[in-house]
Amino acid sequence: MSTALRVTDLAKSYGGTRAVDGISFDVRAGELYALLGPNGAGKTTTLRMVAGLLAADAGSISVFDVDARADPLAAKQMIAWLPDEPLLYDKLTAWEYLEFVAGLWGVPPASARAEAERLLKILTLWDNRNDRCETFSRGMKQKAVLAGALLHQPKLLMLDEPLTGLDAAASRLVKDMIRERVDQGAGVILTTHILEVAERMADRIGIIKDGKLLIEGSLEELRTRAGAQGQSLEDVFLSLTAQPAATPQTAAAQ
Amino acid sequence: MSRPGSIRWLMAHELRLFWRRGKMNSRSGLIIIGLVLAGWLAMSFFMLRGLGPLIPPPPFLNGPADGLTLTIIGVVVAFIGSVMMSGAILAAVEAIYTRNDLDLLLSSPISPWRVLVVRASAIAVSALPLYAGMLGPPLLWMAVFSSPLWLSALVVLASLAFAATGIALLIVTGLFRLIGPKRTRVLAQVISALAGAAVFLAFQLFNINTRGDERMNQQDIVEMIRRLDLDPQAWWLFPSRAFTGDIPSTLLWLAVVCVVFPLGVFVFSRRFVADAAAASTMGQRKRVTDARVAEVRGGVMRSVMRKEMRLLLRDPLLLSQVGLQLIYFIPLVFILFRPDRGLTLSEAAFAPALTLLSSALAGSLTWITVSAEDAPDLLASAPIRPQAIDRAKWLSAVLPVLALMAIPVAILLWREPWAGAWSAGGVLCASTSAALIGLWRRAPGSRRDFVRRRAKGSLMSGLGQAFVAISIAGAAGLGAHGLPWLALIPAILGAAVLGVLQKPTPSYANAA
Repeated sequence: MSTALRVTDLAKSYGGTRAVDGISFDVRAGELYALLGPNGAGKTTTLRMVAGLLAADAGSISVFDVDARADPLAAKQMIAWLPDEPLLYDKLTAWEYLEFVAGLWGVPPASARAEAERLLKILTLWDNRNDRCETFSRGMKQKAVLAGALLHQPKLLMLDEPLTGLDAAASRLVKDMIRERVDQGAGVILTTHILEVAERMADRIGIIKDGKLLIEGSLEELRTRAGAQGQSLEDVFLSLTAQPAATPQTAAAQ
Repeated sequence: MSRPGSIRWLMAHELRLFWRRGKMNSRSGLIIIGLVLAGWLAMSFFMLRGLGPLIPPPPFLNGPADGLTLTIIGVVVAFIGSVMMSGAILAAVEAIYTRNDLDLLLSSPISPWRVLVVRASAIAVSALPLYAGMLGPPLLWMAVFSSPLWLSALVVLASLAFAATGIALLIVTGLFRLIGPKRTRVLAQVISALAGAAVFLAFQLFNINTRGDERMNQQDIVEMIRRLDLDPQAWWLFPSRAFTGDIPSTLLWLAVVCVVFPLGVFVFSRRFVADAAAASTMGQRKRVTDARVAEVRGGVMRSVMRKEMRLLLRDPLLLSQVGLQLIYFIPLVFILFRPDRGLTLSEAAFAPALTLLSSALAGSLTWITVSAEDAPDLLASAPIRPQAIDRAKWLSAVLPVLALMAIPVAILLWREPWAGAWSAGGVLCASTSAALIGLWRRAPGSRRDFVRRRAKGSLMSGLGQAFVAISIAGAAGLGAHGLPWLALIPAILGAAVLGVLQKPTPSYANAA
């Protein structure tokens, strides 16, 4: 199995604060990797550096053996980035948005049209394809952005909180589409605060805190290494990040 | 400490927000404002120590000369009031359409009336600092060196803000009733700009309809006073009389304000919840014509330009905000297209005017296309060099300006080729340089915040753009007047400042 993403000793500081502190991990092709961590752990910063949205201070990023720092355009050609906030153009229709994305990634018009139609139908946005995005609900926007991310057949998909704001049906749909991409051989890395999602979907999980990778592996490996056999990912996560699970008693004490 | 929920407490909250919306941080901002005010106070002291005793003491109640004086003061008051009203209209519209913290305040157990009275008062108060700072010091010294009655000008100035706000609230509420939420926003924008420019436009109309090219001498002024025969006691001059210390007029003015402001707040607040709800549901399920992906041609450049054009043309609010800069263009066009009476201005005078307008329009469009990018992450994550996107956005900003200016420039070329050629050069240089400055000095923001954020762009880029535009306009004007060698001086100065403003363009994501 080839390596979709290799991150080595990646670092980023804001002022004097090390947001990402020499992090290293691999994501294989055909694998879903969940990057977990408490708020401010450095998850989004890491993904933004991989997507070429933020310059790294140190370290290397390789996307399917392309050095993303030396040749960012070649790397970006293979990457799709789905931010946590679905940023769309209010005054464009969903169809026009996809048309624009196709133009940015240089997708040939004929195949872009066919793929856009397929994605919009799967994501149940086909009937709304000519509606302006300003009239969309949060979930519809999220789906439109996902369609844009998948339009150019990315080999590495990076999703930052992809299920935020989605209802149960849409959430299930998006999870199925992500799994389909993984099965087709794409590498997927996602961040989420919904630990059940990572528990059920991820092939491997990495947990970061204070910009450092604390642990990574399959759920079973994580349980073993954390000495938490039979426990949920939530328990493993909380024990590793030393965050006490809030109980009514502790909450009241606070 | 004021009691939480009280009017004072709410007002302190509003003023804190107002202060923090400004450009300066609290400490250095206070120091700078303090220094500027102290300097202006000192300067106006030295000016009025000599001039003050020469100014006839108010009130001005006798004869046509006093009538003319009051009329001139009335124009100044009308100008200040119209600008205050313009800002208040925008603020009232923003309160309805982008409620921000009003949802929080109105869901709290505080009387909605109290919340909205404070918000309306804050709109009025926020219009005051500029004029209080500009006119306050000289009026204070005039009160010392001429007559204490000038102090009533300060009272009128402060109450004028409340009167303007009351009228603005009535206008916005009335528009909402008459034309509905969708059109109110755009029309309020237009009315706001017209209110702000009303006095300027009135003067231009006066210039167009009179012999604006001839100067008046003292005899002409005396003759004009005699001909106009303005009665200083005329009822419509009562705001001017109040401004100049006529006590009955001041009391009448304050009584009017005491009716207009609460009336505006009452009408506005009575309808606010319903209007805000109507505004929040507008624009649902709007359909537009299908545009097929098959039309993807010409790669990135055409995709980006098509996207920018669509976004601009489909946003009437934004379009009206940009287009309103053309208001100042109307008098010029009127003169230029008037075939029957000949030009009161020479053709050469159009070169700097068109140049300045091109710069302003291109600057606004560049801010929209470059700084107000709604999806910076999408562009930054696309496999395209940032320079390619910048080029497309730069062209998207410049081409509409050049297309618009082509018409007056073509007329000028036909009527006077030399002036037309200099105008064409000025328009081209001004629009391209303004767009370049917009690229180099981008200030990321949201399209929804166009007016506010544009005003919050960096001081350096704002001043720089103004300097470059004025330099190019100067060069175009001198060249059009047959002084091409002299035109080199402002041209070189403008180019030098443009060079200073240049800096590497950040990527969209980093800029965001």
